[in-house]
This record gives sequence, structure tokens and C-alpha cells, in this order.
Amino acid sequence: MDGLIGASAEALRLLFTGDREIWEIVAISFSVSFRAILYIVPLAILSAFALAYGNFPGRRALITVVNSLVALPAVVVGLLLYMFLSSSGPFGGWRLLFTQGAMIIGQMILAFPLLVAMIHVSLQGVDLSAWQTARTLGANIFRAMFTIMREVRFGLIAAIVAGFGRVVSEVGCSIMVGGNILHHTRNIPTAIALETSKGEFEQGIALGAVLITLALALNFAVATVRGRDMARH
Amino acid sequence: MNNLPELITIQNVQKSISNRMVLDIDELVVYQSECVVVHGPNGSGKSTLLKILAGLMTPDSGVATTNGAARPWRQAIREFRAHAVYLHQTPYLFDRSVEGNIAYGLRFRNRSRADLFSEVQRAMEWAGLNHLAKRNARDLSGGEKQRVALTRARILKPKLLLLDEPTAAMDRNSRMQTFSLIRDLASGGNAVYIATHEAADLYQPDRVIQLDYGKLVT
Repeated sequence: MDGLIGASAEALRLLFTGDREIWEIVAISFSVSFRAILYIVPLAILSAFALAYGNFPGRRALITVVNSLVALPAVVVGLLLYMFLSSSGPFGGWRLLFTQGAMIIGQMILAFPLLVAMIHVSLQGVDLSAWQTARTLGANIFRAMFTIMREVRFGLIAAIVAGFGRVVSEVGCSIMVGGNILHHTRNIPTAIALETSKGEFEQGIALGAVLITLALALNFAVATVRGRDMARH
Repeated sequence: MNNLPELITIQNVQKSISNRMVLDIDELVVYQSECVVVHGPNGSGKSTLLKILAGLMTPDSGVATTNGAARPWRQAIREFRAHAVYLHQTPYLFDRSVEGNIAYGLRFRNRSRADLFSEVQRAMEWAGLNHLAKRNARDLSGGEKQRVALTRARILKPKLLLLDEPTAAMDRNSRMQTFSLIRDLASGGNAVYIATHEAADLYQPDRVIQLDYGKLVT
């Protein structure tokens, strides 16, 4: 117990004295996850629109597949991506393994089904007549999409926040394709895993506190936007 | 036959939904500036016909003639849809103010802010909506929503206005106000097609067409 209290006190000291290594790890974590979400959101939105308003064979089966992939294990994505990006893999020539680029790709793959599923659910909450109204009033397909996105803005924000929460805390994929290299690919979850394995809990607790604070903040943000949405309708 | 110029002619239009033929029209000529009531029981294809004319639904087969040239459906309707506006039975109003809703379609037509503002003001005056301008359109009554939807369509000056059961589930006062606006629209040079269960005389139409099991019977 004394060890835990001591480690926690040291963790707080590390955080509040601006320990360079810790805040660099936090910055890498946020930078990688933010870019992953930024790059994948447009594709997720387009896919969700196609699933919600498209009329093509296999649409229902595709919705089921996307919903199933929401719980895709990060370590499996990491394994597959590792095989593709390793020097003997089909994309080995890209030399992406153990870079932030590989981590971003992995996190994009992880976030994609969750984003599509959540945005799709939001779009289903809007009547088809919303789309038809936008189109009949002269909106082209992209303007109609922006109109509908505005209609479901709270659901969209909730999806993005949830997607960010999913990828910023995953460890399996990042550690496999990122390699946990200090100053380059070490992010919060991989650093916690490493420090814990060494029996050095201070840094792990400090980073864990950042992650928990982030998780609470994200959940609070999602609850707030959902609450506003429900109050409106 | 009608002496008015033709707006669009549709021929051999068929539409099936879930393997059931919901519309099968040999020929229908839409004339400029005419008011037409489309009558028929539930499931007779009224809404399908209107949505097809609006370009919101694509028939399985069919030819459309505009400006004297018969063309494949998609090609003809791509141009024509810019001149047609369809109103749902329960109009969808966007989650924004009344004036924001009315201005919606105009924003795609390269108006200056000043022009857009004055056109929206005039349109709201026409429908008696000025006092509701800043209210969120979602918070209005059914009759007020329908008036906003009609105004939002009218401001675009469409050649063809397609109204699907515009007075369904309305109280008497709202229905009378809506009838009055629709008659005003119909006399303003637009062609107006109204799918309704109501007595056709309420709209004082130029003609009435009857749909039964997707076929035109009159």
C-alpha cells in the first residue's frame, strides 16, 4: 500500500513538474490518434451515408459486417498490419513498420467500423425525407450530405469522440506496428505496458491518470452532446 | 387535351417495389401553369408518381420528353429536376430557424446576401410567417410547418410543384390557410400537382387524374 501511495505521489510530481519524457509520450499519443481520426472520418462518413441511403445489393450484409467489426481486437489488427508492412510483406517496401505512420494506419482501421456504425445509427434517426427534401430543394449530393450531417451533428460528434477514445487507449496494435520506440512511437498505452513490465509504476500511473482524465472528459463530452440532442427532440 | 405548352411528357413509365408493380403509366403530359389533382386510394401510386416527376425516384423504365426532345429517363430528369420541387405529406423542416429553412434552396442559386434576405422577407410575408422568422422550425405546429414548407418551395419559383397530401392531419383553420396558399401558388404560373384524398374541388383544379393500382384511369 505504501508503495502504491509513494508511486502515485511520484506520478503526480512527474505530471505537475512537466516531466519532459511523460509529456512527449502524451503528445505522441494525441498526435497519432488525432491524425488517425482526422484521416478516417471522411471515409467513415461517406460509408455511413452509403449504408444509410444507398440502394445496392449486399447492403444489409455489409451493415452486419460493420457492426461485427466494432469489437475488432486491436491485437489482431496489429498482427495483420505487421504481416503486411514487414519486409517480407506485400507493403514492406513502404518502410512503414515501427513508424507513427503504421500506428496511424492501424488506428484508422480500428476506428473505421466504430465510426461507420455510430454515424450510420445517427443517420437512421433522420427520416429519408430529410435527404429527399435537401435534394428537391436543389442541393447536390455533397451539399445534401452536409445538410444531413448538420442535422445529425450531435451524433456525429459523439461518434468522433468515441472513435478517438477507442484508438487513443488501444495498446495491441500500437505496440506491434509502432514498436514502442522512445521519442518516436511510444504512446501512453505502450509506455504504461512497458513501465509496468519493468516494475516502475510512477510513470505508468502518471500516464494512466492522463488516460483516465481523457476518458472521463470524452465521456462527459459525449453525454453532454447526447443530452443536448435528446433535449432538442 | 390542353392548349397550354407542355412542360414534360412521360411515357411507358414503370416502377416496381419489392416485385410489386406500383406504377405503370403509358403517357402523362404535364402542362405549364396547370393545377392537377391526383386522386386514388392508398397504394395507388400517387406518391410514387410525384416522386418520379421530382426526380427523387427512378423508374425501372420510361422515357421523358422535355423541350420537344424525347430522351432516356436519367438524362432528361437530371435537367428537369432543377425545375420541380416535391413536398412530403409530413414536411421535413431542417433543425434551424424558419427563415433559415425558407432560405435553404436559395443558397444554392448564387444570390447576394441582400437579395437573399429581401426575397426571404417577401416570401415570409406572403405566407404570414414574419412573426415566426427566428423560431426553430421544429417547434412549429403542423399547419405552420406546412406553410414554411410551401414557402420554402415557392421561393424557388419551380415550374412544377408536387404536393403530397398537403393538408393531411391538419385542423380546419390550418387546412383553409393551406388551401388558400396552394390556390395562390397554382394561379402564379407554376404547374401544381396535388396528390390527395380530399375532394378535388377544394383546390379548384384544371383537371383531375385518377390512379388505380398504378395505372391512370382518367
